[in-house]
Amino acid sequence: MRYQVGAALALAVVAVAVCVHLGMVFLHVAPSNTVTKAHGKAIDDWVYPEFEQNWKLFAPNPLQQNIAVQARAEVQAKSGEIRTTGWYDLSAEDGRAIDGNLLPSHTQQNELRRALDFFLATHDSDNRPSGLRGSLSENYLRRIVVLRLDREDAAGKGGVVEQVQVRTRTTNVPPPKWSTEKISDKPIYRVLPWWSVATDDTDTDTDGGAE
Amino acid sequence: MNRLALSVSSAIARVTESALGPYQTAVIRIGFSATWLLFLLREFPHREELYGPDGPWNWDLAQQLIAVNHAFTALMWSDSGGWFEFVYVLAVLASFLLLLGWRTRTMSVLFMLGVLSLQNRSVFVGDGGDNVLHLMSVYLVFTRCGQVWSLDARRARWVRSEGAARARGERIADRVGVVLWAVLGFALVAVTAGGRFDGVDPTVPVIVWLVWLALAVWWVVGRRAKSAEPRILLDVVGNIVHNGALFVIMAEACLIYATAGWYKIQGSRWQDGTAVYYPLHLDYFSPWPGLADLLSSSGTLVMLVTYGTVVVQVAFPFTLFNRRVKNVLLAAMMTEHAVIAVVLGLPFFSLAMIAADSVFLPTSFLRRLGDWVARARARVVARRGRTPLPGPRAPENPEPTHANSPA
Repeated sequence: MRYQVGAALALAVVAVAVCVHLGMVFLHVAPSNTVTKAHGKAIDDWVYPEFEQNWKLFAPNPLQQNIAVQARAEVQAKSGEIRTTGWYDLSAEDGRAIDGNLLPSHTQQNELRRALDFFLATHDSDNRPSGLRGSLSENYLRRIVVLRLDREDAAGKGGVVEQVQVRTRTTNVPPPKWSTEKISDKPIYRVLPWWSVATDDTDTDTDGGAE
Repeated sequence: MNRLALSVSSAIARVTESALGPYQTAVIRIGFSATWLLFLLREFPHREELYGPDGPWNWDLAQQLIAVNHAFTALMWSDSGGWFEFVYVLAVLASFLLLLGWRTRTMSVLFMLGVLSLQNRSVFVGDGGDNVLHLMSVYLVFTRCGQVWSLDARRARWVRSEGAARARGERIADRVGVVLWAVLGFALVAVTAGGRFDGVDPTVPVIVWLVWLALAVWWVVGRRAKSAEPRILLDVVGNIVHNGALFVIMAEACLIYATAGWYKIQGSRWQDGTAVYYPLHLDYFSPWPGLADLLSSSGTLVMLVTYGTVVVQVAFPFTLFNRRVKNVLLAAMMTEHAVIAVVLGLPFFSLAMIAADSVFLPTSFLRRLGDWVARARARVVARRGRTPLPGPRAPENPEPTHANSPA
């Protein structure tokens, strides 16, 4: 009898836990509604950080623009002369690495792309950061750019990258052949301010991802 | 009224007396651990750039974010390169051993710790596939996912046959298990006493401690209990927890499809039938531009695939009530994910989704698959000319007659 009580208790606890968990996760993925507005804090406390999820995969609409990250550097040569490099298309390099690749690496497919998403989500249209996440995203994007420019040997022999600048180039995916839609094929640029390179930016292990 | 009581009591009997879906939980165990293992091996040359202390998302940046979101990651315990390498190798090892089903419960915990440590360390390099693995690695801990197709199952068979041969009452000592438990317990106490769990969200520490204590109770009761009842009670509790977790895993898969589908319905591109064209023409998701052009050369075909995707995703949870329709949709979704793996260059996302889908595969199919794999292996072994393995294995069936659930 004692054991039956134990089993019943376990059944009750698990049933309640399952219902609460699924309810919380459901409310987390559901659109904003009466219940989530009233109990948003409780839902977030339950779901974050380990049960966070986002399944709006290509929804409500798939992305219809190619957003490329390009970067250039201000380099101090060994002679002391300061020059500015041309623009390096870092996303195009990712694209080339992905072409014909059955197993694209997260470094090629996600790193730069998601770092830019993170940056855009935490900055206003004047590139002003919002809060801690804004400054983190700036540091992150800068460090990726410094790493990539270093692999390109943008500084040249004996040169030092003093500052870097990032711009995005947004192009609409041309409408399908069978479609009558007309959209602009002119790229739109968004130029971010120059960022000074911090001393520890260049400590990045550059061998790590060299192909 | 009587009928209702009867069906409730039979449902309670079902979820208490056995851990349902032994083949389904085994196949997702193998699926998720293989996905993560292959991912870790593929990224091995890039591991430092993705998760290392000096990568672009370096230790210091990660530290600042984790101070705010309180996620668990063992990689924040030290910023040394050696510790990072150790954790990475441990994550590889844990996924391999979970794949084999060696000390399944313990390995499932280590697997979870490996997945969370790496993913929470660098949240901005992951995608949907990482998200699936993240959740499922936590849910797997609560399942008895090593009942079949595992080294644990093989050892259990051996113990049963050996135990019958030996004199009654004599026990077969499990030294490895005890040592493993003690070593990990020592590490757990050290980590907790060292304050490594301070400021961390309690989810992970609670799970790890609970499993560690439960394993101790299980062992003590198995050895010491004078009557059978305490052991039966523990077995029942294990079954209840397993069945609850299995239900959560299935519900989670349904939530993924439902969310993906219902949000798509609201999008103009999914409505006008061109949505599938666009990802195929994004530079980051088009490894085979020629193939993408070929696939999107017909507007009608693109529209059919676009509408088909939404219909299947929205409909899937409801088809679980009809076995046959469910199986058709399941085949369609697995095929679509296999295509996505190649065409959109998302192999690990697709593998994780196929692993999640396979929790809905019918038992009869999984058993046929298991027999087929066992025969293929036997043939390979025989061809190598070595002494054949001890005869074809008897079909495993831990679940008698009513085993056809939950599919």
